[in-house]
This record gives sequence, structure tokens and C-alpha cells, in this order.
Amino acid sequence: MSCPAERRLRKELLELLTNPMPGIYIDEEKVAKNINEWIVTIEGAEKTIYEGETFQLQFSFNEKYPFDSPTVLFIGKIPVHSHIYSNGHICLSILTDDWTPALSVGAVCLSIRSMLSSATKKERPPDDMIYTRTCSKNPKKTKWFFHDDTV
Amino acid sequence: MEQNSDNHDELTIKQQKEIEKEINEQFALISEKIPIEILNDEYADDPVYRQKVQDISSKYRYMRKIRPDGNCFYRAFGFTTLEYLIKNKEEFKKFRQVIEQSKAKLIELNFPQFTIDDFYDTIMEVINKVEPSDTQDVNKVLDELYKLFNEQAYSDYIVVYLRLITSGKLQEEAEFYSNFIEGNYTSLLDFCKKEVEPMYKESDHIHIIAICAALGCAVRVVYMDRGSQSEVIAHDFPDCPDNNPSVSLLYRPNHYDVLYQ
Repeated sequence: MSCPAERRLRKELLELLTNPMPGIYIDEEKVAKNINEWIVTIEGAEKTIYEGETFQLQFSFNEKYPFDSPTVLFIGKIPVHSHIYSNGHICLSILTDDWTPALSVGAVCLSIRSMLSSATKKERPPDDMIYTRTCSKNPKKTKWFFHDDTV
Repeated sequence: MEQNSDNHDELTIKQQKEIEKEINEQFALISEKIPIEILNDEYADDPVYRQKVQDISSKYRYMRKIRPDGNCFYRAFGFTTLEYLIKNKEEFKKFRQVIEQSKAKLIELNFPQFTIDDFYDTIMEVINKVEPSDTQDVNKVLDELYKLFNEQAYSDYIVVYLRLITSGKLQEEAEFYSNFIEGNYTSLLDFCKKEVEPMYKESDHIHIIAICAALGCAVRVVYMDRGSQSEVIAHDFPDCPDNNPSVSLLYRPNHYDVLYQ
């Protein structure tokens, strides 16, 4: 990996460790081993339907980060949500088309946490079965159509 | 929320990546200065365009080709503006001040300080490296600028910062600019998040107007398209009678290059 991407990731890591965001925890040990693979734990916010639950996100970065977006998916227990497929893929425009280099790991976590918080019922996307059977392992290889970013 | 989920997606993306790779190998981020007549080679069998090339050659002698990656406007504009400023010390100082003040403005507009810092620091590093001084040979400084703009890491960081400045200006005067937004956007902010800030998104009039206003710069854009008139049409930004821009860009559908007299 070339220097600029790594330098930027180290800076982001330091920022998240010194100014932690509520409900968002970084697996420091894992990141220390490989700066290009992060595991982030997200706590369901209070007074939302995910209160008391925790989920894990996996971030993978390539050498073009932050110009290229990170690959982000849920691993382990997958939250039941209308924009999250049962294989962990997340339908969120900032992860592909609307990614900008001014975004960051923290900003992505915040978006995903607020996406969870605004849900009013737990349900899978209507096309979950067909998608998870036919999609690529990498969510960035899906050409998403974002119908509604407000949910 | 849907996605077309057959494996076409993977193929399409693979194809896109291959095209991207081909473009990267074929085009430097910014080319050397080349004679304008080189455009004739591209339009050997095209009388309409050849006539326009002839018209452009009567006004401009050289050009630089910019890599067609969707960032060409910002790269061309940033490069040629600095190239001009290096030869005009007083204006360079003013430009430097504008950039120095831009960071606070962007943070005020709610851009995340943490990531802004990164891009700001890089553009300031470039500005410091090419700041004209009495002791340094101007040509050496210009060579340094050319080198920096062809280094992906520097070049792209500058593109990002110019995109952020453009977005900042649009947001700052949202009421004015929202009159010119066409298409399916919920707000000016939505337009900025989708069409200005992300890399590789192309630029239109509104982007050019905003960045010129934000930086106090001027640019002439010469439009070359399939229109029937034999002369090319030039448009000055900002559009006022006493404006005579010192830098010029050539626009062909979806692409910008740099022009020199």
C-alpha cells in the first residue's frame, strides 16, 4: 500500500481513539495488525428498535483510499433492516456513488448508526433472497439503485 | 431500494476498470505543452471539427491535454491558474490569502475539520513549493508545478480541495445558485454531495461560476462542439464586460484541456 492512504488511515485511527464517538468502538488490536482492515462495533442507539444490540462492521481499504470508498459490510450477526441484506451488504449511497474523500470511517459509522436509528420496524429488504443468491461477494461490485436515502 | 442483481454488474464494473486503466496508461494527468494543430489528428475525417480547429489555431498556439477522468476541469483550472500566478507575484499573494481563509469558511459550513485539514495541508504545501521568489528561476518553479500536478497523490488532493471550495461557495450562496440547478436533486446541498464533492464527477457552468467567485479568479472557456457555425464560441467566467481572463480552457463535450496563446 502506498503512503498517502496509510498516512490518512493512521490519522483517522488516532482521531477515533482520542475522540471516541458514542456507540462506536474500534478493534484496536486488529487494526494494529493490518491498517487496511478494520472491525468496528456499533451499538444500537437508546430508544431505538436496536437498543441493547451490538453489531460489527468490517471496513476494507485499498491503496486509492480516500479517493476510492472503503468496502463496508456487516459481519457476524446482521441487523434486520430494510436496507441491509442478510449477507451483510448495505445499501447506502455514500458507500459507492456518493462517496467523497472528505468522508471518513467515523462519518460512515455515524451514517449507518443513524440509518439503524431511524428504522421503525425490523424487516429485510424485499429482494433479499434473490439478491443474496446472485450478488458478488463484494458489495462495491453491485450497481445499486438508491430509491430512498431517508429511511 | 433495489439493485439489478445479476452478474452483469460485476462485468460492467470490470469493464469500467479496464477502460480506466487504459486511460491512465494512455494519458498523463497533464501533458507537456503541445502545438494546437495536434487536434487535426483527432478529426482527420471530420470537416466540421477541422474547421473549428482552424479557427482555434488562429487564436491559440499551444495546448496541454488533461487526463479525461471526470476531474479534468479542476485539474486544468488549478494547474493553469497557478501557472499564471507564478508569473504574477502580487496576484499569487492574493490567491494564497484566499486559500488560507478558505479552510475556516469550509469548517463554518460544517465540513468535517478532520478531513478538510488533510486536503488543505496538501494544497498549502504545493502553494509553498511553487511560491515565486526573487532568488528562484521562474522556469524551475514552473517545472516543479508540472511535476507536482503529475503526481497522483498531490494532484488528486488538490482536485478534492477545489471541489470542496466549489461546494462551499454554492452552499454559501445557496439561494442564488439553487435557481440554476436542474435535475432530480432534493436541494442544493444534495446537488453538492452528488455532483460536486465526489471525485470523477464532471463539471458544468455552475461549478465554474462558483469556483471563480470563490477564488477571485477568471477563466475563458472555448467551446468546440458540433454546432454549425465555423467559429468556436468563447465564454468568460465571470461574465462581465471588463473581464479579460488570463487563462483559457478548451471544452469539447464532457472534457476540458488547457489552451495557450
